Amino acid sequence: MHGLTYDEIHDEFTVPQQFAQAILTFAGGVDGETPPLRVIQGSNTRLEAPDRVAVDAVNNEIFVPEGDKILVFDRMGSGNVAPKRMLEGPDVGRGLDAVAIDPLNNLLIVGPGAGDRERGTHFLVFDRTASGNMKPKMTIRGPRALGGPFAVYPPRKLIFATNRPVDEALAGDDSYLGVWSYDKTTEGPPLWTIGGPKGIFQMPRGVALDVKNRSIIASDKRLNSVLTFHVPEVF
Amino acid sequence: MRKIYLLALAGLILWLAQGTLARPPQTRLIGHERLVSVEPLPESGGEFCETAEPAGPETLMAALQQRQEGRQAAITARNAATEDRSKLKPVRWIHDPYAAYSSVAVDPMNNEVVLTDENLFQILVYDRTATTPASARLTEPKRIIAGLNTKIEFQCGLYIDPKTGNIYAVNNDTVDTLVIFDRNAKGNVPPTRELYTPHGTFGIAVDEAAEEMFLTLQHDSAMVVFRKYAQKDESPLRLLQGDATSLADPHGIALDTKNGWVFISNHGAVSSRSPRPDARPSRRAAQKQNWPLERAQAVPGSGRNLPPSIIVHGMKAQGNAPPLRVIQGPKTQFNWPTGLAIDEQRGELYVANDMGNSILVFNATDSGDVAPKRVIKGPKTNVANPTGVWVDLKNNELWVANFMNHSATVYPLNASGDVAPLRMIRSGPLNEASLGIGNPHPVAYDSKREQILVPN
Repeated sequence: MHGLTYDEIHDEFTVPQQFAQAILTFAGGVDGETPPLRVIQGSNTRLEAPDRVAVDAVNNEIFVPEGDKILVFDRMGSGNVAPKRMLEGPDVGRGLDAVAIDPLNNLLIVGPGAGDRERGTHFLVFDRTASGNMKPKMTIRGPRALGGPFAVYPPRKLIFATNRPVDEALAGDDSYLGVWSYDKTTEGPPLWTIGGPKGIFQMPRGVALDVKNRSIIASDKRLNSVLTFHVPEVF
Repeated sequence: MRKIYLLALAGLILWLAQGTLARPPQTRLIGHERLVSVEPLPESGGEFCETAEPAGPETLMAALQQRQEGRQAAITARNAATEDRSKLKPVRWIHDPYAAYSSVAVDPMNNEVVLTDENLFQILVYDRTATTPASARLTEPKRIIAGLNTKIEFQCGLYIDPKTGNIYAVNNDTVDTLVIFDRNAKGNVPPTRELYTPHGTFGIAVDEAAEEMFLTLQHDSAMVVFRKYAQKDESPLRLLQGDATSLADPHGIALDTKNGWVFISNHGAVSSRSPRPDARPSRRAAQKQNWPLERAQAVPGSGRNLPPSIIVHGMKAQGNAPPLRVIQGPKTQFNWPTGLAIDEQRGELYVANDMGNSILVFNATDSGDVAPKRVIKGPKTNVANPTGVWVDLKNNELWVANFMNHSATVYPLNASGDVAPLRMIRSGPLNEASLGIGNPHPVAYDSKREQILVPN
């Protein structure tokens, strides 16, 4: 499972199921073998290999990146439902592998997976309601190889993402958690580097924010661990 | 300053109004610092610098050069501005310090048992008769293969060559390489042999007479057969994949060479595949024969969740061939059936029933919705999320790798019910549960309960 998002407004969490081409939403706090509240699955969905997911709890939408397109579903959609809109086309580009929503500034932030290691990684910023073939509003050139799902902090327009070693390395010193601004088109190193390079991380991946406690939570594949950093200055 | 503050406040009010008035009625807006923050701008620490207008470039080249210099200056400035927290230590670190056994195989010739560890990425070799006393924290292995040179990561399948004792260990979905070690290998050593596999291999079985090696593929719901001694970029000899095969997130695999059957356990999630000219093959797939149709060839919207099953194919099956038999249904008790082992002498199939916390035993000829003939389950058994099983016919013993309690347990082959194991090897303290983290990718924070969600 390569994606997971918690919706604090409705107290639900949502996961993609890549093999069965499904998006599952569960009640928060469930334990054990509990059926999902809603499942999006079927021939109308256009789901191919959903790996990541983002939920816009404010505007009631689910965003699913599919590499060459982003599918947007109604948050309450269930069963064999069609996406309410799609973002795809030559101006959008490919490598649309991870998404985050900024409902405060009405933005959709898109990140690639680790597939484009030669050109490096960039984040594309679109209007939240972008549809069809649209150019991004701005581009943030960031880590060399994005390590997994990323998080955003809308009040300060910050992206939290992990950089991981490339060339099939299982671990390496080029591992860190970085913080970038998406206030305007930029290119360069992050505003903050945390836990690396040459730090504790070996192969970091996903990121989540604990805003109340001013902390960042990140997973690391090689450490097979989850680590929490206290960084009040970032928030 | 006050003007900026008021503007920010006005924007906030407008956003709140848009949010509450324009949204569908089920949307509930709650005030939360995660979404809204208004802070006064910091006081300026020094004088403002007036921006000097640069002189206009006279040629295109000069303009481009000027732009390049400006861009470089901006990058340099940002480099200097990076706040370095590279040595920051985490305030909390969720990590299991002990091995989590995922698969098991016995080397009867050398009287050793080999276990893979999905938590710390190790292959551990013990004396077959080793047992961890209740008072001991753990049993030290005789040999450990581990480290970056070994290319071991999230290993889930294991095979011991009965002639040489060489260890075949399957990496699951992060390395795409089958690694083979000499029997006496130890430490951070490179594999003796490597085979580049399709993505998401799980189970392994070998037909020694035909010198053929069978691997299940989770991601592509397929099975591939290689030469036993295949290496590097060699193509599979055969491929089994397609809707008719009933393969659906396959895991364990076992061969009944006496009858020419291959048994495969399925968790049930699957999508259809169809060749797509626009799909880019993976790097591993290039120029290969009998390679599975990968995720890029998934048919949109064809995904489905089937009940868990064990399917039986002929050992020479290939293409989109239907199974000979299917064991499936509520009587089977299947709940993530994972590792498989065959007792050819007695005609019995052993199933590590992961989420059922049980070992299920079927007749090798069973079909349809049948109840297992024996079940090993209960508090005395110490079975906890078993993912690997092995039948040791020389010593009439059944081995179980328990993923969730740092133990491998041994039973007589006719064991049934809530029976205590004959022996137990532990990699960690008794009754200390494993964390169950295996290949964490995303994380999420449940702010309501202050909990971290970690899918695997």
